[in-house]
Amino acid sequence: MTDLTLTELAVAIAARKISAVEATRACLDRIAALDRRLHAFITLDADGALARAHALDADLAAGRRRGPLHGVPLAYKDLCHVRGLATSCGTKTAEYFTSQTECTAVARLSAAGAVTLGKLNMTELALGPFGDNPHHGNVDNPWKSGHVSGGSSSGSGAAVAAGLAFGALGSDTGGSIRLPSACCGIVGIKPTYGRVSRAGAMPLSWSLDHLGPMARTVRDAALMLELIAGHDPHDATSSPRPVTALLAALERSPAGLRVALPENYYLEGVTPEVRAVVETAARVLASLGAQVQTLRLPDPAMLNDVANILARSESAAIHTRVLRERPHELGAAVRSRLEVGLHVSAHDYLQAGRLRARLTREFVAEVFAEVDVLLAPTIPEAPPALEAVTAGPVDEIVRRMGRFSRLTRPFNVLGLPVVALPCGVSADGRPLGLQIVGRPFDEATILRLAYAYEQATDWHQRRPGV
Amino acid sequence: MSEPDASRRQVQGDVAALAGTIERAAGDLAIAEEPSNFAAVLEAGAPRD
Repeated sequence: MTDLTLTELAVAIAARKISAVEATRACLDRIAALDRRLHAFITLDADGALARAHALDADLAAGRRRGPLHGVPLAYKDLCHVRGLATSCGTKTAEYFTSQTECTAVARLSAAGAVTLGKLNMTELALGPFGDNPHHGNVDNPWKSGHVSGGSSSGSGAAVAAGLAFGALGSDTGGSIRLPSACCGIVGIKPTYGRVSRAGAMPLSWSLDHLGPMARTVRDAALMLELIAGHDPHDATSSPRPVTALLAALERSPAGLRVALPENYYLEGVTPEVRAVVETAARVLASLGAQVQTLRLPDPAMLNDVANILARSESAAIHTRVLRERPHELGAAVRSRLEVGLHVSAHDYLQAGRLRARLTREFVAEVFAEVDVLLAPTIPEAPPALEAVTAGPVDEIVRRMGRFSRLTRPFNVLGLPVVALPCGVSADGRPLGLQIVGRPFDEATILRLAYAYEQATDWHQRRPGV
Repeated sequence: MSEPDASRRQVQGDVAALAGTIERAAGDLAIAEEPSNFAAVLEAGAPRD
C-alpha cells in the first residue's frame, strides 16, 4: 500500500477501498521496519495518528469527507509547531520552539483531512545540507546507505522516498526542501516567497525562509501546495494574491513554453553525469514542444554573497540565546555558522537587503523577458558519502556545505518558485535532480512543465530498495 | 595562536571578505532602493491573469 502515490491513496480512501486506519497502520508498520536505519522521525505519534484515522473513517462512513486528503498519512519537519507534539528543531532541547498558533500549513493540511504521523528529523536548527544530526541520528539515504540524504529537511526526504509517509512538509532557506528531494529522488517545491505562510514554523532567516511540500510525484506535491498556499494574517510576509488552480494547470501542454538552460554558473563545476542528465531533460522537454535555448544569467555568485549576509545575520539574531547560553549543545559547524552572523554589521546587512531588491528586479526583467522557465541541476554531484563530507576541520566542512547548496541558494534570494524533481541516477544508482524555476507566483507554469517531463519519463516510478 | 583565537580570526576574515563584496556591489545603489522593494518586485513580476 505504501507504494501508492498520495493522490492514488486519497482516491482509494474516498472510494472506501482502503480505510484511513489501514493506510495509517501501513505507514506505522513501515516506520517500525525501516526507521531504525533511516532515522527519519524524531517524534512518532502512533496513538494520535490511529485515533485520528478512526475518526476520519467514521466521518466518511457518515458521508462526511473532510477534504482532498481525507485519511492520508503525512508527517512534518520538526520545526513546524503541531499542537500536542514537541518541536525540537533538530536540537538537543525537546521543546526548543513553541508557538501560540499551530503551523498554518499543517493546520490547512489537517483541515483537508490529513493524518499526522509525527515530526521528522532535520539538520540541527535547519543549518546544513547533508542530513547529519548529532542528537537524533544521521538521516540515511534510502537509495544508498551511508550517503547524504540532503538537508536540512532530511527526514522529510527519506520518509517520503521510503514510503514511511505519503507526503511531508519541509522548509527551504538555502535549498533545504530541494536538496533532500534531489538526494532522495522525490519532488519538492520551494514556492514563491510569500506564497505559503511560515506562521508557526521556526524561523531561520525571515528574508529567505520558505515552507513547501515534498511528495513522490508532481501531482501529489501540487495538491499539497494548492492546499497550503494563500494569505495568512499570522504571517506578515504572506501575499494576498489569490492562489492559482495548480492541479488544473498540470493538464495543459508544455508546447510553446520558452525554456532556458543557463550558459553560466549552473552547469559549471558539476559532475559530467549531472550535466548530462540536465541536458537530456532539456531534450525531453524540447521533444514535448518546449522551445529550449541557452541563456546567460545575471551573476549568481553575488546572489550567494547576499544570501550569506542575510542568512547569517538573521539566524544569529534568532538563535542568539542558545548560542550565548548553551553553545556546547550545538554541533561545531552549526555553532561556527551562527557565530559569523554576530560579526556582520548593520550597515552590511542593510546593504545586502537593498542589493537583493535590485538584483531581483534585474533578474526578473532580464531573464523572464526572454524565457518562461529556467532549468538547472539541484545538486552538483550524486549524494556523496556522509562520512566524507562531515570529516575534517570545521571551516572545511562549512565550505563543503556552501558548495553543495550553491545551485539552490540563489533562488531563495530571488524568492522565485522552484520545483525540484528526479531526472536520473548516477552509475551506481544514486538519485540526481533537476530544478525548474519560474516567474514570481507562477507555480502553475513550473508544475505544468514538471508534470509533462515526469509523464514522459519514469524516474518518479522508481523506488529505493530499502 | 590558540584554537579559539584562530577560529575567531577566521570568522572575522570571512565576514570582512563578504562585507567587502557587498559594499563594492552596493556602491551604485539608487537612493530610493530599500529592502522592502523586494516584495514589490515579486508582486510586479507575477503573471497577469
